Amino acid sequence: MFRSSNVAARIFERQIRTPAPGTSVHCARLFYENLVPSHTIYDVECPDHSFRKFTEDGHYLISFSRNNQDLIVYRPRWPSFCCKEDNCIHDLPQKAKRFESFFTELYTVSLASNNELICKDMFLYSESNQFGVFVTSTAPLHDAPSSGEAVPGIPSIDKITFHLLRLRDGDTLDKKVFHNDFINLTHNMGVFLYDDLLAIVSLRFQTIHILQIRDSGNLVDVRAIGTFCREDDELFLNSNAQYMPVSDQSQLNHSENDVETRAHQNPLYQNNTLLSGIKQRLLSFVFREIWNEESDDALRIQSLKKKFYFHFQDYVDLIIWKVQFLDRHHLLIKFGSVDGGILVSRNADQHPAFFAVYNMETTEIVAFYQNSAEELYLFFEMFCDHFHPQSRSSLHMNFISSHSNNIYAFEQLRGIKKKAIFTQFVKKMLGSLPFSCQSRSPSPYFDQSLFRYDEKLISATDRHRQSTDHPIKFITRRQPYTLKFKIKTGPEAGSADSRTKKISSFLFHPFLPLALSIQQTVFSQPSINIHFRK
Amino acid sequence: MRSSGMIGSSSATASSATAWASTTSVSSSGKRIQREMAELNLDPPPYCSAGPKGDNLYHWVSTIMGPPGTPYGGGIFFLDITFPGDYPFKPPKVAFKTRIYHCNVDSSGNLGLDILKDGWSPALTISKVLLAIRSIFTNPDPHNLLVPGIAHQHMVDRPKHDQLAAEWTLRFAK
Repeated sequence: MFRSSNVAARIFERQIRTPAPGTSVHCARLFYENLVPSHTIYDVECPDHSFRKFTEDGHYLISFSRNNQDLIVYRPRWPSFCCKEDNCIHDLPQKAKRFESFFTELYTVSLASNNELICKDMFLYSESNQFGVFVTSTAPLHDAPSSGEAVPGIPSIDKITFHLLRLRDGDTLDKKVFHNDFINLTHNMGVFLYDDLLAIVSLRFQTIHILQIRDSGNLVDVRAIGTFCREDDELFLNSNAQYMPVSDQSQLNHSENDVETRAHQNPLYQNNTLLSGIKQRLLSFVFREIWNEESDDALRIQSLKKKFYFHFQDYVDLIIWKVQFLDRHHLLIKFGSVDGGILVSRNADQHPAFFAVYNMETTEIVAFYQNSAEELYLFFEMFCDHFHPQSRSSLHMNFISSHSNNIYAFEQLRGIKKKAIFTQFVKKMLGSLPFSCQSRSPSPYFDQSLFRYDEKLISATDRHRQSTDHPIKFITRRQPYTLKFKIKTGPEAGSADSRTKKISSFLFHPFLPLALSIQQTVFSQPSINIHFRK
Repeated sequence: MRSSGMIGSSSATASSATAWASTTSVSSSGKRIQREMAELNLDPPPYCSAGPKGDNLYHWVSTIMGPPGTPYGGGIFFLDITFPGDYPFKPPKVAFKTRIYHCNVDSSGNLGLDILKDGWSPALTISKVLLAIRSIFTNPDPHNLLVPGIAHQHMVDRPKHDQLAAEWTLRFAK
């Protein structure tokens, strides 16, 4: 049946028809085809900040000062102005074409102190209580001496501070400091927020810190997974220290200093380190799987020899790279070799990597896959949304397109799958796991059931992209498949020098037809355009 | 150009000489280890298994599953086994990689077992060593106590000892 996409017709239809059960939200979202950010204010005059993100509820625009010391928070608002001239129907008056008519500054807070800087790439938003998590850190030392339990080859950062802010007024509620540690903060890689649970991966000490953000505004340590699995394992061990000989007790209390002296006293002690809690779980899981595969003793020991003992040291040497929550109890942990740990995505799928599903309540490994596992890929293909756990409170986040909830995205994936060599394709796809937290924009203009656009130039994923002088087209998915709006980055006339590399990033409001595009070149000031519906 | 070639060749001969020396001295022990591996594969002791780590014949890993009915039941214990170059005339070095509440194993995994020290005989094999280790799960070796506190508890308060050992197994050896 032909339905008009005219906005008046749609409103009329909404009045007289009840949509099929459960689809009213989707019908309401069709209105976004009519309300598009088609008007652009080029090169808008705005404060010289780096603009980071709209929060998921659309209440705040987060930006940082150029010197990475201060946080500046804006409230997005719809421009209102009065004008006397006649032509204001066609164009906005000059005085309204300002950044300030779209955004009101709420406050400026100085986050970084001394030699610390704000990590621009890292911001997490807890929607339920409007808290923001920010990180400041000192510069990393790349040739850090490995000490104690630190993994060699991983850089060290003197001080990493997590700040919990109430975004309503910018009050710092709590802080959590990590010393001489390394946490990968680019694109929220080393952190994951699910509901009120915050996971932080210490690459240097191979520990997953689970923190809880309380409504009272406190960051509470819930558990640390790594050397130990349960939250009271260390306490338990220390309380049993009465049974240890004297030398052992001192070793338990301050391990780092005593390791060396003990090593001198006791040649047996050398090279013997106990497995960490998480490794013990992992290895015993792998062992059990192979053990249960065979029932014949002789065959069993053969396959253990080949599949387990031969690779034992490789398993022991694996390090935790990245973690995400699957639900409140289950973590998806990616293990890999040290040299692949700090590399960013590009070549990451070349290194052997493993995925483990870990239940932190029962402290059990539930599943373990290599990054070439077809079974895991099939889960990923069919149940992609389960890898994107949404906090209970978020509304818009349920509509982010993925290949398991959107036919167009799925067909696109199938197209790539057909062309690629399957084993490489599996590795490449699984390379995106575990997902980064809050890295996708919930804006309806990225909903692939509403609009078609070139994903090389723009997508819901929050990344910097190479920009071209051509505007990015958004074409409707329905009859008559027309161009609905264009997003053009950079100055209106295009830049004079077409050869310099330009990088653009896009900040879309989660539900309003409002977006910022930021184009940067190496030498010049960034040029910022505001896209909105006039 | 020429001199650098000279240096290169001299170092090559030096390294090959050491390689020769080591292979001649270890080849008999290597053969012995290989034979023991074949024997172990044919008839592995119950709940035990072992194999070389990577392609190094002298460095093994072993797994002992805690015998059911003991406080260690359900646990999976990994052990490092290192054979000396003059094996079997010297005992292999064995250490726990998994924490265990046991009077013969100290807090960093070192194992006190008579046959791995003075009681060693070249007639013993790795299968026998694994059997001996497995037997201390049920009967601790009273002559090689590394943790006297646990041994004392084992003697005077067995239920408490077993309860703690089971708790350790649950926490650290699953």
